[in-house]
Amino acid sequence: MTGPILEIDTLVKRFGSRTILDGLTMSVHPGEVVCFVGPSGTGKSTLLRCVNGLEDIQGGEIRFEGEKVEARSKRIVAVRKRIGMIFQQFNLYPHLTALENVVLAPVVVHGEARKEVEARARVLFEKVRLSHRIDAYPAQMSGGEQQRVAIARSLAANPHLLMFDEPTSALDPETVGDVLAVMRDLALEGRTMLVVTHEIRFAADVGTRMVFMDQGRIVEDRPPRDMLADPSTERAKRFLSSIQG
Amino acid sequence: MNQSWVAFLPLFVKAAGITIWLSWLALMIGAFGGTLIALMRTSRFLPLRLVALLYTEFFRSIPILIVLFFAYFGVPLVLGIDLPPFAAATCALALHASSTMSEVVRAGIESVGKGQWEAAHASGMRYPAIMRYVVGPQAIRVILPPSVGVYVATLKESSLASIIGYIELTKTGLLVRESTGGGFAPLLVLAVIYFLINYAISLGGAALERRFDVGQKFLTVGAGQ
Ligand SMILES: Nc1ncnc2c1ncn2[C@@H]1O[C@H](COP(=O)(O)OP(=O)(O)OP(=O)(O)O)[C@@H](O)[C@H]1O
Ligand SMILES: [Mg+2]
Repeated sequence: MTGPILEIDTLVKRFGSRTILDGLTMSVHPGEVVCFVGPSGTGKSTLLRCVNGLEDIQGGEIRFEGEKVEARSKRIVAVRKRIGMIFQQFNLYPHLTALENVVLAPVVVHGEARKEVEARARVLFEKVRLSHRIDAYPAQMSGGEQQRVAIARSLAANPHLLMFDEPTSALDPETVGDVLAVMRDLALEGRTMLVVTHEIRFAADVGTRMVFMDQGRIVEDRPPRDMLADPSTERAKRFLSSIQG
Repeated sequence: MNQSWVAFLPLFVKAAGITIWLSWLALMIGAFGGTLIALMRTSRFLPLRLVALLYTEFFRSIPILIVLFFAYFGVPLVLGIDLPPFAAATCALALHASSTMSEVVRAGIESVGKGQWEAAHASGMRYPAIMRYVVGPQAIRVILPPSVGVYVATLKESSLASIIGYIELTKTGLLVRESTGGGFAPLLVLAVIYFLINYAISLGGAALERRFDVGQKFLTVGAGQ
């Protein structure tokens, strides 16, 4: 058994005087697919953003592959290179084609040869089933297509961890399935993934762990099917029944 | 008087060239300086932001003519070096243009959504790369249209250089008027030439915008996130 890829130890995150993450502790092992659920404003997005140093932290410690994550340190770039992040709003670069979106970071950040990256990008576009859209601009694509380009973009740097922040929440219902299908493939490849999602079905089928967060703390952390079948806390029970409608 | 100003037309054309060159140079220096100031304005560091704010407000608030006098009369007194009229005019116009351009560039940078910075940071890019590959290319489309306006303004302001005796377009018109007996025609010629130049710049700017595709294609989706 290898050690954890990610260790979070009594993490405290404040915005001003408001405590958003309140002594949160967890670790993630390679190959795990951890799905985060919980009410709005609970700190799920903030947690992901702390992991790759988009936010600085006020207490505790985060270690990624044994290396301390510090938002303000120069070393943060080395951490970010190994973590792919997918946003709710896709955040594709609108002035670049799909292919250029995928190629940019490996060329600019990793200093790879453009030709090689393009070849790899084409394989990634096959994987996300968008080979026919390679030269399209983001504005010419549907939300689901854009999000799959964003996934390809995050994969281009061969990350060791993928973080998804509500990847399907901004999508039309018809295109949600395409994105979830791609994510399912990634999970089957054995990728390590942190997924903030309200897609309970996806979490149950694909997730290896389900973390229920409330008010900056982890309330439950169990295999998804167990939690869904029988939430052990009243809060989780109420929340889960509310989103399952 | 009527025999004469037509004979001076080549002079007017040459002077128009001088005016275009002077204001173009001032605009280029102003755009460069303005970009630096805008980067300071949008930086994380408070002292840089304050210096940039002060600079912008200062040069926006004092008349260009005063800056021109400082450059032409003040610099020799303080620094002991004579600035020729051309250099003094370029300096004064560039200082003013830089304060305007800094606001234009800042608006361009700030038009690019936070999500773009986040995606770029998350992929491991650093500030210079983000500016160059992600934010800059998007900002330029917002920066370009008002920059054309700044050029037109600078070109008009360059007529102030006539006051310190620099022979650009306005000064040329005034000299021609003097030597042809003080008629109305040279002034009219001046006005028409200024109009033609600035109208051409505006048309050119519009064409440039179309080439850069401003407001088209990509700005509709994703850019503001
Ligand atoms: N930059 C910020 N400055 C101040 N407060 C912030 C900032 N970012 C987030 N917050 C606050 O932190 C809290 C947690 O936000 P976060 O986005 O992490 O919640 P979430 O669990 O992802 O919610 P949602 O399900 O709505 O996405 C919220 O109350 C939010 O208002
Ligand atoms: Mg969120």
